[in-house]
Amino acid sequence: MKRIPALFVPRRLNELAYGVKLVVYALLLLWTAIVLFPLYWLVITSFKLPIDVADGPNYLPFVDFTPSLHAWKYIFFDLGRDTLRPYVNSVVVSSVATVVAVLIGSMAAYGLARIEYRPSVGAVAMFVISTAAAASLMFWGGANWLLAIASGAAVFFILLRVLAKRFRRRLGNDDILFWVISQRILPPVVTAIPIYLMFKQLGLLDTRTALVITYATVNLPIVVWLMFDFFSAVPSELEESAQIDGASRFGIFFDIALPLVKPGLVATSLLVLILCWNEYLLALFLSTAEAQTMPLLVAAQNATRGPQWWYMSVLIVIMICPVIVLTVTLQRFITKGLLVGAIKG
Amino acid sequence: MSATVPVRSKSVALLGIGKTFGTVRVLRDLSLEVHPGEFLVLLGESGCGKTTALRIIAGLEAASEGRVQIGGEDVTERLPKDRDVAMVFQSYALYPHKTVAQNIAYPLTIRRMAHAAIDAQVKEVAQSVQLAHLLDRYPRQLSGGQRQRVALARAIVRRPSVFLMDEPLSNLDAKLRGHMRAELKHMQYELGITTIYVTHDQIEAMTLAHRVALMDKGVLQQLAPPAHIYSDPANLFVAGFIGSPPMNFLRGRLADGIFQAPGVRVTTSRSLDGAEVILGVRPEDCTLADPSRAQLQGRIYSIELIGDHTLVTLKAGEQEVVVKAPNIFSGEMGGSIGLCVNPERVYLFRAQSGERIRG
Repeated sequence: MKRIPALFVPRRLNELAYGVKLVVYALLLLWTAIVLFPLYWLVITSFKLPIDVADGPNYLPFVDFTPSLHAWKYIFFDLGRDTLRPYVNSVVVSSVATVVAVLIGSMAAYGLARIEYRPSVGAVAMFVISTAAAASLMFWGGANWLLAIASGAAVFFILLRVLAKRFRRRLGNDDILFWVISQRILPPVVTAIPIYLMFKQLGLLDTRTALVITYATVNLPIVVWLMFDFFSAVPSELEESAQIDGASRFGIFFDIALPLVKPGLVATSLLVLILCWNEYLLALFLSTAEAQTMPLLVAAQNATRGPQWWYMSVLIVIMICPVIVLTVTLQRFITKGLLVGAIKG
Repeated sequence: MSATVPVRSKSVALLGIGKTFGTVRVLRDLSLEVHPGEFLVLLGESGCGKTTALRIIAGLEAASEGRVQIGGEDVTERLPKDRDVAMVFQSYALYPHKTVAQNIAYPLTIRRMAHAAIDAQVKEVAQSVQLAHLLDRYPRQLSGGQRQRVALARAIVRRPSVFLMDEPLSNLDAKLRGHMRAELKHMQYELGITTIYVTHDQIEAMTLAHRVALMDKGVLQQLAPPAHIYSDPANLFVAGFIGSPPMNFLRGRLADGIFQAPGVRVTTSRSLDGAEVILGVRPEDCTLADPSRAQLQGRIYSIELIGDHTLVTLKAGEQEVVVKAPNIFSGEMGGSIGLCVNPERVYLFRAQSGERIRG
């Protein structure tokens, strides 16, 4: 097994000299303050009256200003269902999209880590040509989409049979992996309008389904890229052993490989979940009222009367709570050393 | 694990197996047959193709040419799981997220055997390899020797028709290795299952095998019982590989049945006049003698007391000869000395091809 070299040798803090220790603690304290201050500001702003916000910086509750629950009341009771709906939307869309992306992405990553693919450049080119042909047939030729797909597929298979053997150059797993991650090269703004048009065509605008499909798709490359490394780190002898013991490919994936990459799986899921949870741009295009998610609701507090910081703060506080809870609970799964004992004595 | 277990071990045959990785040829026309119940050791230095051969038998690697037969059936195209073989890996390849019991049970669980039957079999096998008290542990909580035994138990529990072992003892310390070697031999004797065992260690090969297949650069050099491979090597490579300290080789010429080199004159029964040859003689087949009456005259280059014997290195001309002498050897470094060899135990090889010249 490859050993990962330690970047630096960890030293215990209490081994350091007294003066050094003081400096280290001071720096750590400073950094903690920098990190925590925005959160603190957020929480106290949610208890401020508009006047306390407008009045210039007020730092300490009960000293600089008198805390008020008015914003909380407004969000929970006056808005009520209009807060709950986006919240439920966010929970459903993020979790379903994460599960879908991680499941499909892991399988793709496992395949790329364990099976050698050698698609020929010719075959790939022919697929692109036939897809383009089918698309133009549909748009300019006005053909029925089923007919377009069928003829595209037919063209592809004929070209593949006739011409593909003439192409010598083949692609490998690295190329496929690069192609997967290259899906993230385009800025989301560029893809937002095509995606919008696509879902409009499908009649899925302002539905959770559209958001789930979109989020799962845009996050797939991240899952594949991360999980590829985790699967590559599993010694292949374990899987060969399982193969001889009688397990099938799927059996090996679910019985051996997946449990061994659990820490990576949890970390990846958490990352994807957070990306979905905070996503704004695509949600803006794809949802108007029914499928609205939390980021949109937060942004909506920037109304005609100017940003309403107090409402916004309440919404952000309730939005970050589940993420913090989840991160803390799942952290214990993100441990190292799961492979200890697998190989070598 | 008693003799009442029906022995259903099978023969294994390789027919003209070749394997290339890219442009590198690792196996060349390898053909051999392993009899049912036989313990065959594939011996050779790292890179000689022995592990590749084992992996081809297991089905983990596809042969570039040739066929694989198990029990007379052609299994060349079959998946590993359909070959009824069990394999012990050099690294043990235990599943780290499963307990010892689950590790051993895995081949049975996969086959959807009833829980009660699995439990009974796991217990029985664990008992036989002294793991019964460790069934709830995880591999990371075990010592090297214990992990080794879990790997063995996982292979045994299925009662396969063939065992494949890839240097299973090489990660153990020397003392434990000796102990496990004996256990392995006994286990194979009791189970009577055809075993193909890969190692680079000639002691393991000599002690365990019914027959040894010695390989070099992807080519089978000799396939014979250990005693035979020691006393009747097929060529220079086999002669030099087997034996510790290794066989002495002297370059010289053959004239009138007499081998001649500077300071050396050995009468042999072979007549191959004027040929450039290599004379091989094992350190244990030489005796030190008075220079005037000896076939080889030289000076003592070094003396090493091993314990039960002394290794004396002589220099005759430019060539070195190692002799296994009694531990009470009294010569001195630099002193002149002679050597007698047993003409019955002298081997001659062609200098060019390394081929053995037989009488």
